[in-house]
Amino acid sequence: MVYTMNNRLVLSVVIATALLLLGMVVVPENPLYGINWALASVLIIGMGILTFFWQFEKQEVNSKDIALIATMASLAAISRVPFAAIMGLQPTTFIVMITGYVFGARTGFMVGAVAALVSNFFLGQGPWTPWQMFSWGICGVIAALTSNCNRLNLISFTIITGLCGYLFGWIMNIWHWVGFVYPLNMTTFFATYLLSIPSDTIHAVGNIAFSILFGKPFYIILTRYKKKLTVKYQDLSN
Amino acid sequence: MLIYREKDNLIHKLHPFTILAFIGVVLMLTLVLSHPVYLLGLFVAVGIVIIAADNYKEWKVYLKYCSALIVLIIIFNAIFSRVGETVLYKSPRLPLLGEIRITLEALAFGAGMGVRLLIIISVFCLYTYAIHPDKVLKLFNKGGSRSVLIIILATRLFPLLMKDFYRITEVQRCRGVKLDTGTRWKRIRNLLPVISVLLQSCLERSLQLAESMYARGYGSGDRSYYNRELWRPRDYLILVGMSMCLVIGVFSTLIGWSNYNYYPRLSGITGREIVITSIMTLTLMIPAILNWGWNKWPLLRSRI
Repeated sequence: MVYTMNNRLVLSVVIATALLLLGMVVVPENPLYGINWALASVLIIGMGILTFFWQFEKQEVNSKDIALIATMASLAAISRVPFAAIMGLQPTTFIVMITGYVFGARTGFMVGAVAALVSNFFLGQGPWTPWQMFSWGICGVIAALTSNCNRLNLISFTIITGLCGYLFGWIMNIWHWVGFVYPLNMTTFFATYLLSIPSDTIHAVGNIAFSILFGKPFYIILTRYKKKLTVKYQDLSN
Repeated sequence: MLIYREKDNLIHKLHPFTILAFIGVVLMLTLVLSHPVYLLGLFVAVGIVIIAADNYKEWKVYLKYCSALIVLIIIFNAIFSRVGETVLYKSPRLPLLGEIRITLEALAFGAGMGVRLLIIISVFCLYTYAIHPDKVLKLFNKGGSRSVLIIILATRLFPLLMKDFYRITEVQRCRGVKLDTGTRWKRIRNLLPVISVLLQSCLERSLQLAESMYARGYGSGDRSYYNRELWRPRDYLILVGMSMCLVIGVFSTLIGWSNYNYYPRLSGITGREIVITSIMTLTLMIPAILNWGWNKWPLLRSRI
């Protein structure tokens, strides 16, 4: 019980700090007003990622979970490379989401975040790394939240992957907007979002295609593996 | 496969915390300061450190791509910004765009933004080419051993799975599946089964990894760790210089010295900014200066 209290306390402190930071940036008449929005937004996103990682550190994890997360993250990361020629069309989001769907929110977030980080070790790190970590992590979490424990609902899963294609773009757009666009106002904000529609659509269509093609086989393979991972001890003494 | 290459100079031999702190300080100052003179000073400092780290060749590629982007930013800003007062060019009415006024202020603003972007890209170039990723991860080992382990394992598995991927495509090619010829759509369709096979082989790998970790007693008690990275006088010297630079930068931001108004008219540049910038640039250049001494002066090399 103490443990959950502690968890909630840290979570609320993080949320409070993020809100405070947001307030400091937006509300006039304080020394931090007008401080670079890119910096503030990266700090807020960074806190979000750290909260998830911190939660992961606190929970009970065994070697199988660690090996699974590392391998799936690596698979998601490497799948960025062969398809890199076609911008936006990459199975990474799909792999992160199906992992989240089968193994739950914690695994889903970790796989998404680590996949972004690790693939950037090879493709080049940049200020976009935390944003990608967060976006892919959130995709994994959403897939996990919509999952129906024992059965694959391919239609709903496909729709959700499509939506997440857009969501990923929308989160990344915030970074593009605060990072590269001036002036920061509603017009440029909507312009940024309008401009990203084509690439987001490619991403979404790609996700839908991957889900239709691979949804079922991947789900079967992963659930079989999940059964292999979970060992239940039965008391046979009586 | 990793793009990092170890080189024989002081900057590659620093404690990872020092170089990470350097990158953090420069990033923060870049985002906080808005005066173009300060930004130029930061850019000079970062550039000299990158050259001292012997990463000029890699940096050049970054600069090439970045300058194309900067030209785009300047053009866009010049066309769409209508705030400046010094008009350089006025076009007749155009359909859609209306009247285009290109002002000196808008050009200067675009250039200022461009320098900021240049610094950020250069700093990430330094991060990519001057620190080994494992060294960075080891820094966080105490706080988040599990996440770090996962990241290290995933980084290690990346080339391995890449090899798996090539192996599977080789097999497919031997079976007559065309992966390099044909229309793009056909190539993608032929690539799909490869991913499925890759998933199975990689899950198998994961189970073996878990068993091997279990057999070696992972999670059976508190883990032991050791740290090979040494703190040397050079790290302290650089950290002191950096903290001075950070204090000066934050102080001049709070007091308003680093503000600069591009609109409606460019404000002037005073001697104060130039003096402060040179101090900041010098303090940030300490790694490069020490590296020079490290190469030229054996006595200094043995002391720091």
